[in-house]
Amino acid sequence: MRIIVKKTQSNSARKNLLTTTLLASLLSVLSLQSVAFDLKGALKDAVQKEIGQKPEPTTPTETPSTNTPPVDAASANNTATSAETAQPAFNWKNPSKEEEIALGREIAGNLLGAAPLVKDAALQKYVNSVGRWVASQSERPDLPWRFGVIESDDLNAFAAPGGYIMLTKGLYRKLANEAQLAGVLGHEIAHVVKKHQLKVLQKQQLLNMSAGFLSGKYAKDNNLISKAIGSGAEISARSLDKSAEYEADRLGLSYATRAGYEPYSLADVLQTLGQTNKNDDSVALLFKTHPHPDERLVALSDAVGSKLDNIKNGKTLENRFYQLKP
Amino acid sequence: MIKNLKHILITIALMPMLHAGLSIAAETGSALKNDNIRAEPYADAKIAGSFSRGDSLEILKKQGAWLQVKTKKSTGWVRLLSVKRGIATTTNKTAGALAVASGRAGTGQVVSTTGVRGLSEQDLKAAKFNETEIKTLESYTLSAEQGRQFANAGNLKAIVFANLKAGKGDSK
Repeated sequence: MRIIVKKTQSNSARKNLLTTTLLASLLSVLSLQSVAFDLKGALKDAVQKEIGQKPEPTTPTETPSTNTPPVDAASANNTATSAETAQPAFNWKNPSKEEEIALGREIAGNLLGAAPLVKDAALQKYVNSVGRWVASQSERPDLPWRFGVIESDDLNAFAAPGGYIMLTKGLYRKLANEAQLAGVLGHEIAHVVKKHQLKVLQKQQLLNMSAGFLSGKYAKDNNLISKAIGSGAEISARSLDKSAEYEADRLGLSYATRAGYEPYSLADVLQTLGQTNKNDDSVALLFKTHPHPDERLVALSDAVGSKLDNIKNGKTLENRFYQLKP
Repeated sequence: MIKNLKHILITIALMPMLHAGLSIAAETGSALKNDNIRAEPYADAKIAGSFSRGDSLEILKKQGAWLQVKTKKSTGWVRLLSVKRGIATTTNKTAGALAVASGRAGTGQVVSTTGVRGLSEQDLKAAKFNETEIKTLESYTLSAEQGRQFANAGNLKAIVFANLKAGKGDSK
């Protein structure tokens, strides 16, 4: 957003160029990522050259009023469409919420290309109800959270930036109650809240762009979302840092606990996963991209200690747990 | 006398069955970490023993966040997160890695023949954006208020609980 704002200013009044440059340097100095220090300055210039006129003058605030999260599907689609048309302006340095959602939409759409949604509206509605309630206990309750169960017998779950979360039918089938579903969704919600995947993409894209610029091959389409996320949904097959997974377990458990669910439910799911034969195809990708469930249980155990001793009356709600059609 | 003998015989005949029933009921498990075994399911209960990571044990009972376990040396209570349920296996990371290398998530030469719909790395790479599906997914989006109503219907009450921080022993 900042780049765009400054560009608008410099377009409207050349006099502001000095201010812009000063601001730019200030931003660079303030930047915490020392690795990207020089690159960012270069990037800024490059992006300023590349971006043409931006018709609507944006207010210098980070989140204009139009940035409220699109709650219904229609407005979400609009957001994505506008982001697509404005792709060259994708701010990799500091993506807005809309940009994050547009990016997540692209990834989630690709994932759905590999495995479509289970054709069971009642199931999808149920999963969205549980997910939405758990997400409301997170640090980002205002995202337009959406959840889906996808057609696959693998055991896995995926999160894409901006609040797109999917779990496989195979994993759903392993769950015994609503609290376990809440735990799984909580883990994925945490990935979105902590922007784990977004950060990986940002880092990679900023480096790519800078490398391209420095070698004189800076191309307009370098900013394209599709280029950033690679082919198809391969980004969903990539591993995050182990620490990111442990963090997501801790936060997922915390969110589900805050939501009133039985706190040990995520651990129950990890127990189930841990008992799955390692040679089973259905867990090949999960085990490749995550620490072994045993390690995750140990990490969770160390983090929990006695902190759950006074949490009573957490609900499991197996009675209303939606049963898959055979 | 004959009646008595009959009883005795029946009892003797049933004993192995009872025994078998008991051993089936007891779930096996293994220690995920070194921990103390306590006399009662409380953090400040008397220590009744201990176990080391990898020790196999029998799980007798679950009570809240505690499991009553039996090791070779002692019986008592441990926090449930200290125990891996199921058949005791030593954590073998190599086996897992091998499974991956030989599985469908490998380098691409292995193809699933099971007919089971998986989601391998290749499946994901080859995926094409599906606008219809993403729109369907988005059509299910609920508001925070709808989430709250759903929670109320299930009598779920939000509670105060601070986010867990990484534990000391977290190896990362």
